[in-house]
Amino acid sequence: MTPKPHRLLLDRVSSYADEAGAYVRRRRMTRKPFARVGYPGGRAAAYEPETEAGRNLFLAASELIEAARS
Amino acid sequence: MPRRADAELAVARMGEMSPDLRGCAVLDGYGNVLASSGGSSWERAGRAFLEAADSADGERVSQAHVATEDGEAFAVREGGLAMVAVSDRFALASLMLFDMRTVLRDLARGDGVPDRRAPGPAEQAPVPPTPADASLPTEAST
Repeated sequence: MTPKPHRLLLDRVSSYADEAGAYVRRRRMTRKPFARVGYPGGRAAAYEPETEAGRNLFLAASELIEAARS
Repeated sequence: MPRRADAELAVARMGEMSPDLRGCAVLDGYGNVLASSGGSSWERAGRAFLEAADSADGERVSQAHVATEDGEAFAVREGGLAMVAVSDRFALASLMLFDMRTVLRDLARGDGVPDRRAPGPAEQAPVPPTPADASLPTEAST
């Protein structure tokens, strides 16, 4: 049975809304500051800004970014 | 130890290859700046960034990437040298790290920093024959 036209329209609109929501969520995630460190052999570790190591990394990175401005 | 001129060329190459780059510096194994893209704070800031990365897990790092609201900071170690760089936000991190590693590897090898964007001899298009070439005797005609 052919779906009613307004159902097609609603489905289309809600699918666009879902896409937009996913885009905003992804964008928010990528905007979140992060610190990643890689070691010889391929091991990698991420440090949250709340941790001591993360805080040190963010402070040092800010200093480096300032050095690029000067 | 690479020559200072080669280190300066490496910094220039990074600027050419990475449009998002704000600045970078090449450091030797002791943390002394061999070349930088300007400014006097690179040595202290670069050394501090590498030390912070090393002290995170108590192990010497091969690379580090920190993204903040103001920009992104990178560090790569290769062949006894290190490079620290700063880019705009949302730079392609894997490309940036790859470029830094490639430039450092060339620099550590000690035979200059080639422009890897230029086509190699095998990739260059053959030169079309000129009318002057046509008048020359060929193997078939001799």
